[in-house]
Amino acid sequence: MDRRTFLLAAAAVPAAADVNPAVPTYRVVTPYKRQDDEGMPGRYPGKVVRTHSGGIIDEATNKVDEAMLRRMFSEGMRSLTGAKSERDAWAGFFSPSDVVGIKVNCSGAPNIMSRPEVVAEIIRNLNAVGVAPERIWIYERFPSQIFSVHYDRYIPKGVNIQAIEMQRGSIANYDPRVYVEVDFFGEEDTRSNMIRLVTERFTKIINVPNIKDHGAAGVTGCLKNIAYGDFSNVARSHYRAKTNTLTYIGTLATVEPLRSKTTLHIMDGLRGVWQGGPFVLDPSFVFYPKQIVFGTDPVSIDRLELDVVENKRKAEGALSIWDRNMANISFRDAKNPHTNRFIREPGHIEYASKLGLGVYDINRIQLKEINL
Amino acid sequence: MILLCAALLPLLYWDQPPSSAPQLRAAGIERIAVAPSSVDAWRATDIKAEPFEPAKAVKLPVPHLEMRRFEAAATSQPWIDENGWRMLRDRDGRFYYDVPARSTALAAAEAYVFQGNAFVHTDQDGLAPFSRMVAFVRAIPEASRDPLYNFDLVDDHSAEMGEVINLLIRRNLLFRLVDKPDAAAANTITHSKIGSVDPARAANMIRQEIGDDRRLIRIYGTEVVIARLEGNRDHARLHLLNYAARPVIGMRVRVLGPYRHAAAHIFGVNDAAVSDIATDAKAIEFTVPSMNEYAVIDVSK
Repeated sequence: MDRRTFLLAAAAVPAAADVNPAVPTYRVVTPYKRQDDEGMPGRYPGKVVRTHSGGIIDEATNKVDEAMLRRMFSEGMRSLTGAKSERDAWAGFFSPSDVVGIKVNCSGAPNIMSRPEVVAEIIRNLNAVGVAPERIWIYERFPSQIFSVHYDRYIPKGVNIQAIEMQRGSIANYDPRVYVEVDFFGEEDTRSNMIRLVTERFTKIINVPNIKDHGAAGVTGCLKNIAYGDFSNVARSHYRAKTNTLTYIGTLATVEPLRSKTTLHIMDGLRGVWQGGPFVLDPSFVFYPKQIVFGTDPVSIDRLELDVVENKRKAEGALSIWDRNMANISFRDAKNPHTNRFIREPGHIEYASKLGLGVYDINRIQLKEINL
Repeated sequence: MILLCAALLPLLYWDQPPSSAPQLRAAGIERIAVAPSSVDAWRATDIKAEPFEPAKAVKLPVPHLEMRRFEAAATSQPWIDENGWRMLRDRDGRFYYDVPARSTALAAAEAYVFQGNAFVHTDQDGLAPFSRMVAFVRAIPEASRDPLYNFDLVDDHSAEMGEVINLLIRRNLLFRLVDKPDAAAANTITHSKIGSVDPARAANMIRQEIGDDRRLIRIYGTEVVIARLEGNRDHARLHLLNYAARPVIGMRVRVLGPYRHAAAHIFGVNDAAVSDIATDAKAIEFTVPSMNEYAVIDVSK
């Protein structure tokens, strides 16, 4: 250490929260290496298959037409992979020896979440290619969220349903060897650790986000669900009007082995949220895109999701998710679509593309639309 | 039976009559402090009583945790009421805790860790947790109590500096408190202006000055644990105090130094052990699977 004396003066020194470099200094620690043949952006970079059906969900009762859902899955996966049968489509991704984690999104549960019918259809297809129920995990960070959805009522016995933080904030179920260390605002705990099931148990991950706006990230889709959903201690990235989601989401998503193991994204867009996301603060903020979106490229899927949410907000007269006007910031009025809680960062999707996670350029995204 | 060494361990202040001696004995307590006027009455029992006047001691708040969500910073950083800062500032002082039963174990541990001359008053239900904590402390192998620290902090004895000391303790920034700068010290921090420094900013400035990579202790996975470090580069003892009213599950700890081994003594846990030990050129890390009010981790080369 240097021999010196540091004087505490009346500070013209800014508080920690004021010292905020454009891109934080991230220290990524992991013993795992990238597996080049799998993982984001996966086998079909830039390719997105969007299935839609006007009758898939009853807007009054929220009842799902499961036969139609099965058709959407069949058409979507066959179109994505070029396989002749849905079995072949799934067998191209998964084998009986795989241990598969299904990363659901339950932050808005019970009003919006990865629907159990969608998750059940995923599991049905996994079983069909020989992945036993006991080798499948549905997982989410918080018990109050995931257990409110009652996935167990829809899925075969033996499938595991796992909440990671049985005590909120505990890192007991996170891997101490795999983390990103960064000091955003002077917080004491500067690490976000990866879920231990991801590092030590799963061989593949299926990511099942929703279509939602997000107060900090602009939208929450594939990238946010897989990044913030697989690490501890991420809420510290927001403070007052500032959020670091622009760079943190993509950074987390690149950390191995999460990146290599996340092989398929199925966006549950049967319902969506256009304001107040990721939660449902008011039923009027729910809308019905009636889509299921398939792909291996989270950036491309999220790029298209951006337009869905932004167009809906425009139709409702709400602020653009790209708005950065500090005059529109309000800390107390999350229900007001004319204010923002944070300066939103939908640019996190393009940033992720620059990290190599997928194709962002709308002109290079190959979108196949299937209306049923 | 438990012998209480007043020089190292907090002493129970007991305001019940000598007829309560069997209750004390049942709790394993042989020595207490009582009002001066009561000392003679206790001579007829087998409980040793020494005089103590609470009014002449510094009364301490109950050590505990408050979640002040709307006053916190980027995290849900809790507000910890800890008393170590008072004990560090007044090494000759006598301190008095008046605590409910649920807080006696933590109070006893806090006084022991900060080496305060402390007396703990509690109710009947507090006897058992108090004596269990004292028994736990007495069972830990002896070790050096020389503090390890990152910097000297010059105490000007102002109220503002008191709050700085408090915040540094709560943020696990380890310092040695001195009355004047020591020329031999590697890093010294003084207070140049009284009354015009925001203690929270001061604590953060000190943290930036030291640098997270050079801090002797880092704690991850919780913000309710206060840590102190004693010993030397061959063998160090980490004291961990949990101010939450429930166990901390799965805390990760980093101790800077050439240590390779870690042995745990965790209050209320039999066969305690740390897990996921990792070492590199600079430090040792490990996970404390679960801790109650107090844990001691011995690290060595």
